[in-house]
Amino acid sequence: MNRRSRTIFTASLLLGLQSITIGSLNAQGILGGSVTGNVQFDGQLSRRDSVIGSSDVPEKLLSNARADILYTNGNFSAGLRYEAYLNPMLGFNSQYTGQGIANYFVSYKTQTFAVTAGHFYEQFGNGMTLRAYEDRYLGLDNAIRGLNVMYRPTNGITLKALAGQQRYYWDTRGLVRGLDAEFSLNDIVKPWNESKTRLTLGGSFVSKYEDDETIPADISGFKLNLPKNVGAASVRMDLAHGGFGLQAEYAHKGQDPTVMNDFIYKNGEALWVSASYSQKGLSANIQAKRVDNMGFKSVRSVTGEMLYINYTPAITKQHTYAFLSMYPYATQSTGEMGLQADFMYKFKKETLLGGKYGTDLHFNASLITGLDTTRIGGKGTDGYSSSFFGTGDTYYGDLSLEIAKKINSKVKLTATYGYVLFNPIVEGHQGEMHHNHVAIADLTWKINRKNVLRFEAEWMGSDSKYDPNVDDKRAGDWIMGLVEYNFTSAWFVSISDQYAYNDGIGNYYNISVGYTHNATRLQIGYGKQREGIICIGGVCRQVPASNGLTFSLTTSF
Amino acid sequence: MKRFILTIAATLFFGLSFAQNAKLPENITIKTLDGKTVETSVINNDGKPIIVSFWATWCKPCNRELNAIKEVYEEWQEETGVKLVAISIDDARSASKVKPHVDGNGWEYEVYLDQNQDFKRAMNVVNVPHTFLINGKGEIVWQHTSYVDGSEEELFELVKKIANGEEI
Amino acid sequence: MKTIFRLFSITLCAIALFSSCDKIESDNYIVFSGAEGEWYSGNGVSDKSQRALIEKYTGVRCVNCPVADTAINTAVGQYGDKLIAIAIHDSSSFTLPFGSNPRLSTPDGQAWSLFFGVRSAAMYPNALVSRTSTGGTWDLFTPTSGINSRVDNVLSQPAQVAIDVNATRLDNSISITADIELLQNISDKMTLTLLIMEDSINATQLMPDGSRNNEYIHNHILRDVITDIWGTDIDCNGTAGEKKMATFSYSEFDNTWILDNCHIVAFVSMKDSRTILNVAECEID
Repeated sequence: MNRRSRTIFTASLLLGLQSITIGSLNAQGILGGSVTGNVQFDGQLSRRDSVIGSSDVPEKLLSNARADILYTNGNFSAGLRYEAYLNPMLGFNSQYTGQGIANYFVSYKTQTFAVTAGHFYEQFGNGMTLRAYEDRYLGLDNAIRGLNVMYRPTNGITLKALAGQQRYYWDTRGLVRGLDAEFSLNDIVKPWNESKTRLTLGGSFVSKYEDDETIPADISGFKLNLPKNVGAASVRMDLAHGGFGLQAEYAHKGQDPTVMNDFIYKNGEALWVSASYSQKGLSANIQAKRVDNMGFKSVRSVTGEMLYINYTPAITKQHTYAFLSMYPYATQSTGEMGLQADFMYKFKKETLLGGKYGTDLHFNASLITGLDTTRIGGKGTDGYSSSFFGTGDTYYGDLSLEIAKKINSKVKLTATYGYVLFNPIVEGHQGEMHHNHVAIADLTWKINRKNVLRFEAEWMGSDSKYDPNVDDKRAGDWIMGLVEYNFTSAWFVSISDQYAYNDGIGNYYNISVGYTHNATRLQIGYGKQREGIICIGGVCRQVPASNGLTFSLTTSF
Repeated sequence: MKRFILTIAATLFFGLSFAQNAKLPENITIKTLDGKTVETSVINNDGKPIIVSFWATWCKPCNRELNAIKEVYEEWQEETGVKLVAISIDDARSASKVKPHVDGNGWEYEVYLDQNQDFKRAMNVVNVPHTFLINGKGEIVWQHTSYVDGSEEELFELVKKIANGEEI
Repeated sequence: MKTIFRLFSITLCAIALFSSCDKIESDNYIVFSGAEGEWYSGNGVSDKSQRALIEKYTGVRCVNCPVADTAINTAVGQYGDKLIAIAIHDSSSFTLPFGSNPRLSTPDGQAWSLFFGVRSAAMYPNALVSRTSTGGTWDLFTPTSGINSRVDNVLSQPAQVAIDVNATRLDNSISITADIELLQNISDKMTLTLLIMEDSINATQLMPDGSRNNEYIHNHILRDVITDIWGTDIDCNGTAGEKKMATFSYSEFDNTWILDNCHIVAFVSMKDSRTILNVAECEID
């Protein structure tokens, strides 16, 4: 189909679905059911700016658009998604260019049985063996197109089986099959039904199939003897007793030479443990993990963010303030060790530290290092050996202390100090470790019921200097200011500026205006945007670097 | 491009005209904070209004909203019988921090995990926070995305109307 | 509880059935994918020592030949793996088998015999060490004595090229890989010759006293020359340090051979002079 006929096709499909609903409604609920959906449109009019790295855009307008339509009738549901990337937004892979139905499914679900045919999202346990998910702001969609079945033979047992191909932009690739079983022991074993201790055990097995292909070995005349089936299995537990919680998952993956691990034959493994204690006003959580060669993709020779079958969670805290999240850390699936601790305490009202309204204290610390490895060889060997408890280079570390305090009935202040260690090797380039100190003051002033002002001031002192050869635009010392004015929850205007005052380059100014009505939201911004997570006007989202005018419309119905 | 906009506009027009009909789905699988798998049919308040709020531990406006409502939740409950159900969309990275986060903040809400985001998709949630108001019949009567300090008061006005059986 | 247990078992079985995940042994991570007989850059050769080849022309009806066998066996015992022996039966009245004994002569052996002038010289037993010649005359000798001086002469020279050979038995063929490493600059063309040899062949042999020994065991008998009889050209630049490898497939074996008793001999020789530079042998795995 050419582009034009595809549009017509799409339009008739969407309208057709609507008419079915209209028809059914007219038929006084014989068919019944409801149609819901959401629409999103993002546009960008970009100007080139070599300093911040926003790319030269020959097209005048870049836009991403999508519409999800969902039809639900009792246990039955069906949906489709239309996506159009007439010129994909910056940060999106150019292979998205095009438009069409990117996702469709029909599903029947009761309490004990569910079947979905078409595209689906699924996660086994923590996703260490399988996680098909979507992040629309990152242009990431690992949806599986195939069949997904869930069966609950008895209360407390959930079995899942699936098979299909993964989405690859406008195509599907690979072949993934998976099984998962989860046993909630309290529901299975009668005497434990009312126990305060809850224990859930689970296990999963996922396998991918891929045909043989010729991948030359380092020795000429030789090629890799590739496994056609690669399996990954995991076991997990979730134990809860009152305020105590202990969760763990261990995953193992068979030989899986891929372009990501430089075609080595070492088995992969990952262990993740989380322990927590909480009571009202106090909580503590510690997580540890070890990941070794656990990248799992359905196509061995594809690089990039698509076609991941599994997900090895990053355990570092997801910071949202600009300077604390300047160096976001993503799991190094080739290998890492990590430790993270979170602590939260509420000083009660009318106490020395709590004051009139109470005080919130958050503390977090994390440290991620590489593995202690011994090289065996390159492509077509076991690659390396690693000791289980040994650690290698420090990749990332952070520490943050946040104090939130309501000063009076109108003013709330959040003060944060953070320290971030970042090794550029994580992003694939050599360089000195960055040590950054960050201080943030976030003040909300509720003038009256309808008018709210928010001020944010951030400072980052870093030992890094901007180096044109490395071109890391985050280097140097920075200051930032933000003023945001909200008129009820309907309107907001914000002005912000980030400026490298020492050893860095760049000046990121931004003006944004937004309007929200119910579940419809329109936002228009002008200025320079650094890539990363931003939280503004009440929502958080991931954005790529840009310079110029951006607008975004989302609505749900 | 024109066609695309037309398509969307048509979809919006027809879609919106039936928006009132949508009910809270009952068969989506979610998890309790202690790991138990349940269906969304557990979200029930005996014919009284329900606020369903999608949030995440890392979302600052979400936390501000839930903390602000916490201060007045008791009054709200007494006055209208409303119940707030908080749906965490945290993924594996932070899902294990949800319970400590909820306890640490002293929230007394019913909290569920929607790690696979099935519920989020079924409810067409794009960004968090996204708040739904459900009437006594289980119908979605209002929804809103984003939060600014003070907008919980607007929300409560709507809750009161619904509790009194008024239309919004 | 019973149902639950049954379900649990079914799940486990299903998982087991599903678990088709390939395991590849570490010596099999990479496989040959090039063309047979083509030369590719190789891994090099770890054992770079110089070795000598003694090729003996012999016959079952030659009464003096068992003496040469003894002398050569003694020399092989002395030199260990530095000396590799092969026995060649050409086609003459001396090599006619007794009764229903298998034929030990080969057309390739015959061709060599004619080329080196074994018949016109002292007949059997006759031998060459690494195919050396002086003034255009092949250094043929009767290998009942004089073996050591010739072997010493070859071994005293530094190795110009190192060679290693490996063979794997496949379903219907033998895959042979030869690795070559040049230790010196060699500007002239070189060739690689591969032989398949068989040990422990029981065949009647005339003994020095004229008697027939029906229990005589013949070792390292040439069964076939796998490559062209004068070898296949080695595709290299001729610079010291160069590492090359090539893989060959052989499937023309006769059903009277016992493959378990067979082994491979490989040697590198100068294409023009036919002098052997180095030699190696291996079992068939």
